[in-house]
Amino acid sequence: MNRALLLLTIALPPAIAASAATPSECWSLRKLGHADQAQSCFEALTRSRQAFERAEGFWGLEQWDQANAQFRLATGQPDSSPMVKVRWGRLLHVRFNDSDAAGLFREALDKDPANAQTYIGLALVSADRFEGKAAFYLAKAAELDPKSAEPHELLADLALENDERATAAVEADKALALSPDAFDAMAIHAALELLADRSPDAWCDKIRAINPGFGEGYARIARQLEMHYRYEDAVTWYRKAVEADPRLWSAHSALGIDLMRLGQEAEPRRELELSYNNGYRDAATVNSLRLLDSYKNFDTIRAGNTILKLDKSEAALLQPYLQSELRLILATYQQKYKMTLPAPVQVEVYPNHEDFAVRTMGMPGLGALGVTFGEVVAMDSPSAHPPGDFNWGSTLWHEMSHVFILTATNHRVPRWFTEGLAVHEEGAHAAEWRDRLTPEVMAAIRDKKLLPVARLDRGFVFPEYPAQVIVSYFQAGSMCDFIAEKWDEPKLLDMVHSYAKLLPTTDVIQQNLSLPPEEFDKQYQSWIGQKYAAESAHFDEWRDKLKALVAASKQKQYDAVLAQGQAVIALYPEYVDHFSAYELMADADQAKGDTASEMSILAAYQHAGGASPDLLKRLASLQQKAGKPSDALATLSRVLYIYPVHDEDLHRRLGDLLLAQNQPDAAIREYRALVASNPVDKAGAEYDLAQAYFKANDKDKAQESVLAALEIAPGYRPAQKLLLQLQQPQANPKP
Amino acid sequence: MLLVLAVPARAATFFVIVAGLGGEPDYEQRFTAAANDLDRIFKSANPSAQVATLTGAQATAAQLKARLAAIGGNARPDDDFVLILIGHGSYDGQDYKFNLVGPDMTAAEIGSLCDHIPTRRQLIVDTTSASGGAVSALQRPGRAVIAATKSGTEKNATVFARFWVEAFQDPDADTDKSGSVSAMEAFTYAARKAAAFYESQKRLATEHAVFNDSGRGEPVRDPGAGQGMLLSSFTLLRLDASQQTMNDPAKRALLEKKESLEQKIDTLKYQKAAMDPADYKKQLTEALVELARVQGELEK
Repeated sequence: MNRALLLLTIALPPAIAASAATPSECWSLRKLGHADQAQSCFEALTRSRQAFERAEGFWGLEQWDQANAQFRLATGQPDSSPMVKVRWGRLLHVRFNDSDAAGLFREALDKDPANAQTYIGLALVSADRFEGKAAFYLAKAAELDPKSAEPHELLADLALENDERATAAVEADKALALSPDAFDAMAIHAALELLADRSPDAWCDKIRAINPGFGEGYARIARQLEMHYRYEDAVTWYRKAVEADPRLWSAHSALGIDLMRLGQEAEPRRELELSYNNGYRDAATVNSLRLLDSYKNFDTIRAGNTILKLDKSEAALLQPYLQSELRLILATYQQKYKMTLPAPVQVEVYPNHEDFAVRTMGMPGLGALGVTFGEVVAMDSPSAHPPGDFNWGSTLWHEMSHVFILTATNHRVPRWFTEGLAVHEEGAHAAEWRDRLTPEVMAAIRDKKLLPVARLDRGFVFPEYPAQVIVSYFQAGSMCDFIAEKWDEPKLLDMVHSYAKLLPTTDVIQQNLSLPPEEFDKQYQSWIGQKYAAESAHFDEWRDKLKALVAASKQKQYDAVLAQGQAVIALYPEYVDHFSAYELMADADQAKGDTASEMSILAAYQHAGGASPDLLKRLASLQQKAGKPSDALATLSRVLYIYPVHDEDLHRRLGDLLLAQNQPDAAIREYRALVASNPVDKAGAEYDLAQAYFKANDKDKAQESVLAALEIAPGYRPAQKLLLQLQQPQANPKP
Repeated sequence: MLLVLAVPARAATFFVIVAGLGGEPDYEQRFTAAANDLDRIFKSANPSAQVATLTGAQATAAQLKARLAAIGGNARPDDDFVLILIGHGSYDGQDYKFNLVGPDMTAAEIGSLCDHIPTRRQLIVDTTSASGGAVSALQRPGRAVIAATKSGTEKNATVFARFWVEAFQDPDADTDKSGSVSAMEAFTYAARKAAAFYESQKRLATEHAVFNDSGRGEPVRDPGAGQGMLLSSFTLLRLDASQQTMNDPAKRALLEKKESLEQKIDTLKYQKAAMDPADYKKQLTEALVELARVQGELEK
């Protein structure tokens, strides 16, 4: 929600209104564009006998510390009005201290439960924290002060953030009916026009006619465009905002952050520094500047229509995998979506998850693993997570789906559909990457918490319970699965085209699936209910039985584990996290020396989506011992998508298997990864690489690598022999 | 740059391995297993090695004192002495204590007992929590000290011991491919693996292994600046018996040539930064090819 100062009718007890001009009048002058008069007005307030008025005066002059001090003084007086605390809270809110602001609002509410401004303050804080209570607070404010336009302006803003366009228009109209110069309501209308690809000029002209320097309005429009993934358009409107009001530092910062999202560096730095140097130092500005500073640690690698931005410490290791996967993804999606991207796609990979979060939101603490901004994808590196917690391959397929869908629809696509399609694509590419039924999702299905398709966006933007975002991803993905299953895959592409034509979800469903959204919801609920009926019905039984299985395993009652394990798996086959029945059974098999059963259960674990590198590598070892090198190769190749970092053993084993199967080029990739892993045994790694080059008939590179091995370990006999072999004019590798 | 010293065959190596008090069955089991693994490895690699291992109820101060006193009576200056401590340690800001069954022992007490062992070269590997607090009390010229933590304030249980044992089981630890694992190679292996462990678990590293083998100054994490010579020359495990055959007098000339080439290569590597890269590569290639040929002759 916009952090700008909002015009207030500050109703204060007569006792504290002491200077000639009131704070309301000063703020009104500023809002209406009378900058010089507003300045004089605020200056006059600073000379008031009343601390509260002095606080408002210093606030208007952007002398934040003095304003804060005067508010502190004003609230310390015995007859202090709750409104003083509300205004102090608003000051703290615009100065990035929501925690103390919320405290002041609550204190004011205790003193005066009927104060509408208090509820507005609480709504502002709640909206900034995406807590989901903002609408409730604003409805309360509107009820307490039916003549105030502000709650309706904010409700309109909130509704539009949630893509509830009709509600946004209604609330904006209510605000305008109450106050003809409700600029923010006009800005919402302008944003609505832009989102519908119509001209916003009529509304912008109205704003300009009253105050040509009201940059806040343009910033509000930009913010809404940003919330609808239209980052390039958002940049355009933030530019208009700072052009109209060059001192609007919040817009300079937001412009910088949006430009960063689009993959730029120089201009964002200028805008963010301008903002920072003028005192606008919120966490997003500071974090983004720090992140820009850290870009010196990144390598930028351009190849064809791809740009990779990788941390120098892992660039050599990750580049081949990412580039090869990107090529495959581009080829697959180009064919599937029948389009080519207009510009190279840039993928930025962050080894520190909080850097990725700052890159995305300006703030740490983001739960997502990857984010797409037009043709720029930012995502976590596998090294940002413990082994098994993250699959960079599925994340890249997911984000690249966004790149195509956002391009195909010119960013006119609701959140549920682009996320749903991206989740669907993960499972379409690799069955074990499909979104698994987690206990939270199962509980949501059982408790009938899934949202109607027309309101599914809410589950992403304003979750009402902690797991709702995860549940919404699953629901959106399974809705796309349902559509593909019942109507066929191309129907999803038809829906993409309908969204590109700006149809709302209700029409998209009706036109493409030939049924009303309510009927779609009904059929989907029935489908998902049937699909997971057994798991949902037996969830508690599964939990109890798994507990018993874990206890039996800890007591080394391996026969009991093996006897009961399959029944536990049957109750919930998709559970592959810690202490899964698969793992417990594999351990029991291992303890009993039954390698065939151990291999079989670990293979089932893999097919169910199990992602522990240790368990998968254990499976590969069993497959190798069982004389199944191709299976071992396939298993280890899956680990590459999960945790290719900090694992010398993985790359060496893969290299050895590939070389043994006479695939020297692929072996070279693995041995190069081994060398790039900075292994303990560097000489050995270089020698392995030299052998692969030799087998691939690249003698120059073979010599380079074998010399690197011998430089580290001059007496390394196998490397010495290879070096001598390479000196022979007719040296050829053994077939 | 560190030049690995040519070390003549030594009379004997005395190993004392102690698995201290675990406190909990899990630790008890882990410490004992690590000590027994080392016992087996050192005995099987060198049947003449004198290995004494204290685990479980035997891991008392009295037993440790008795073992060290016995070695003090048997060892000669040319022998090597290695003490490996596995378990928990504590540090109160003044004294480090190694946790044993019954009374614990301070670093000063352990150091004093080792002072009575006449070997010129000693190695003490303290893999416990807070072991960094023991280094200053243990260090002295001729004695290399390895600690799993950089100070006494790193008090969490460590994983260093696990990787110290692994260093003698994984051929990768022999990074210079000399057919043996030196104390420096084992230290580097274990320290890196311990760091990688915390990195892969996304846990804040609560141990940072250090060593001091000059007997002076602060412990360090990497060789250089006068630290690392003793550890590099302190062979703990021979993987390749063929090294022994190099002492054949019939091949003396070839051996001398080989040593000369190795020295040339070391010198080249030392001068690398100041050399033209193409010239460096040419000279290095020539020397390495020649060395490979000499080595081939030696093996005939």
